[in-house]
Amino acid sequence: MDALSLLMEGFSNALTLENLFWVFAGCFLGTAVGVLPGLGSSMAVALLLPVTFALEPTAAFIMFAGVYFGGLFGDSTMGILMNTPGQASAIASTFEGHTMAKKGRAAQALAVAAIGAFIGGFISSVLVVFLAPKLADWSANFGPAEFFALALFAFVATSSVVTDSAVKGVLSLLLGLAFAVVGIDGVTGTPRFTLGSPELFDGISLVTVTVAVLALGEVFYQACIRSHKSEHRMIRPKKGTYLSKADLKEAAPAWLRGTAIGLPFGVIPAGGADIPTFLAYGVERKLDSLRKNPRFGRGAIRGLAAPEAAGNATTGMSMGALLALGLPISATAAIMLAAFKQYGLQPGPLLFDRSADLVWALLASFFVAMVVLLIINLPFALLWAKLLLIPAPYLYAGITVFCALGIYATSNSTFDLLMVLGIGFVGFLMRVNDYPLAPLIIGMVLGPLAETNLRDALIASSGDFSVLFDGPIVITLYAVLVITVVVAVRNKFWGRTPTEPK
Amino acid sequence: MSTQISVPAARKEPQAPSKFSLAVKMLSMPLLLLGFAAFMVISMLGMEVSDNVDFPGPRFFPAVIAGGMIILGLVDLAMVLRQLRQPVTAHSVQNTTFRDGDPADEVHEDAVSKLDLFSLVWCLVGFIVFTFALNFLGWILAAGLLFWCVAHAFGAKRHLHSAVVGLTLSSLTYLAFSLGLGLPLPTGFLGGVL
Repeated sequence: MDALSLLMEGFSNALTLENLFWVFAGCFLGTAVGVLPGLGSSMAVALLLPVTFALEPTAAFIMFAGVYFGGLFGDSTMGILMNTPGQASAIASTFEGHTMAKKGRAAQALAVAAIGAFIGGFISSVLVVFLAPKLADWSANFGPAEFFALALFAFVATSSVVTDSAVKGVLSLLLGLAFAVVGIDGVTGTPRFTLGSPELFDGISLVTVTVAVLALGEVFYQACIRSHKSEHRMIRPKKGTYLSKADLKEAAPAWLRGTAIGLPFGVIPAGGADIPTFLAYGVERKLDSLRKNPRFGRGAIRGLAAPEAAGNATTGMSMGALLALGLPISATAAIMLAAFKQYGLQPGPLLFDRSADLVWALLASFFVAMVVLLIINLPFALLWAKLLLIPAPYLYAGITVFCALGIYATSNSTFDLLMVLGIGFVGFLMRVNDYPLAPLIIGMVLGPLAETNLRDALIASSGDFSVLFDGPIVITLYAVLVITVVVAVRNKFWGRTPTEPK
Repeated sequence: MSTQISVPAARKEPQAPSKFSLAVKMLSMPLLLLGFAAFMVISMLGMEVSDNVDFPGPRFFPAVIAGGMIILGLVDLAMVLRQLRQPVTAHSVQNTTFRDGDPADEVHEDAVSKLDLFSLVWCLVGFIVFTFALNFLGWILAAGLLFWCVAHAFGAKRHLHSAVVGLTLSSLTYLAFSLGLGLPLPTGFLGGVL
């Protein structure tokens, strides 16, 4: 196989001492932010973004991938031990996972979660290796209309389908798009919304927006609600307890089903791993209720295994969609797309031709990252839990310093620091008022792509809008979009996110 | 404000937030968005675009965005105003009814009810002081100060300890980034002394 030989070459690049170091760094950091409640991989990637400009692109992306996957390995740890999931993608795992821990099976729960994340990530990485080049070839046929449809798809799916309030989701998206149009128009050279200020001619930097919204806004938010947090008690796993053969047999089908559910969500821009984890949990729960003695609610291993596998399966596939189509499905992926652009790389078919070294080294590093993550998560979950000993004031103060560092190091300007503060405050207001943040990031990243392609398509057709609906790929994309919206609307009336076990 | 609704979610602290602060909080986003949209419209009116630019020019895409923001911003504003007319507790209850079982909600629900403005002000002021003092104080002192302010906002009680931790962190980042990765950070007046 062609892909295999390329992958082998990728491994030879990924297994250099330097790149191995970055895999480890990413995995450690990702697990850490995953474990700490309130911090997510998107925040970590946002904070790393400015810092990584001093690195080689390959090293930077290998580290990003480690963080992205690591977040999903780590997020279930605190969910299981303390009933405080590290990020939204671990909420579904927490229900049965924490019940298992309460019944004295914390060690098994942690193992099931780590192995599940490994299986989901591994299988999806294998698929990405074989599918991504084909997907990239296929997307070589894409013209402006197709790219615009793809961007529109991402906009609608992230802003209205997955959010609680479609109005707030779309408003968040529009704000992201509005940030993206500030600056000199690339086609005509007209300055837009710059107030005549030369600092804004280059537009609002994506680094500024991501750091402001995802990191600084979170700090402000946490500062305000800190004193109201309730204390959770941590359960300590018993030493010397391992997964039994029966446990493995019980979990295995759920791992595979979870993976199968997670995979397609990697190419649907529906906000990342949150939905598939809930879906996987819901499916297992339904299947369980058909059994003679249902185990859900009493610490069912499957209720933990499936969401964990689903989350990482989605993440793995989303990396494929990002590399082959330039389509980010979550905030974290959107920031990585932004990073590609900062390095002057354009994900999509050309990336596989022009930067084959980088792509295959990155794909190979996924496998390395999975193994590293399994090793650092499976036996050492309790060590990670010790991260909670960092006092919250110092943790958030440190994050603030890193926000300032990242912004100042890349821009060297006071103006950008004030900008990050202002947008950070907007991010804070959005959090307080329940506005989703992912649409803003996706809008900011894909906005220029959508505008350029829309204008190219319309200029070529001299203003005829029907060109946007021309061609089988475009029609398919819009058809899938309509179906997605219909299903989402139906689900909203029929029942919201899968219900809690009671 | 005594209209307690008998829903499980009513396990709140007795003093509900004042109606005024709730209104400020809830109106902030729609008003901000409408304000931004208005700014976009005004800028677009004054934008100089030569006549030979093909449709769609530089104003088309922003116009769609601003239009969407105005329409949805008004919808959001109407929803907020309707909520504000209802008793205060009804709002917080409504917020939690769909999503119980989500462990993050406990935090969230309290956040809706009451915000700690003192902490927010400390964070904001700390960041502003940092921004303007950075070039004079240099990275190490300014970042140490920023760290201390945010830690204070989060309720750190041992002031000297926070200062030591902050200065250690800022010194380490200075060493790592300025000397290690070669990213320039200001030395400030210390640069002349050391």
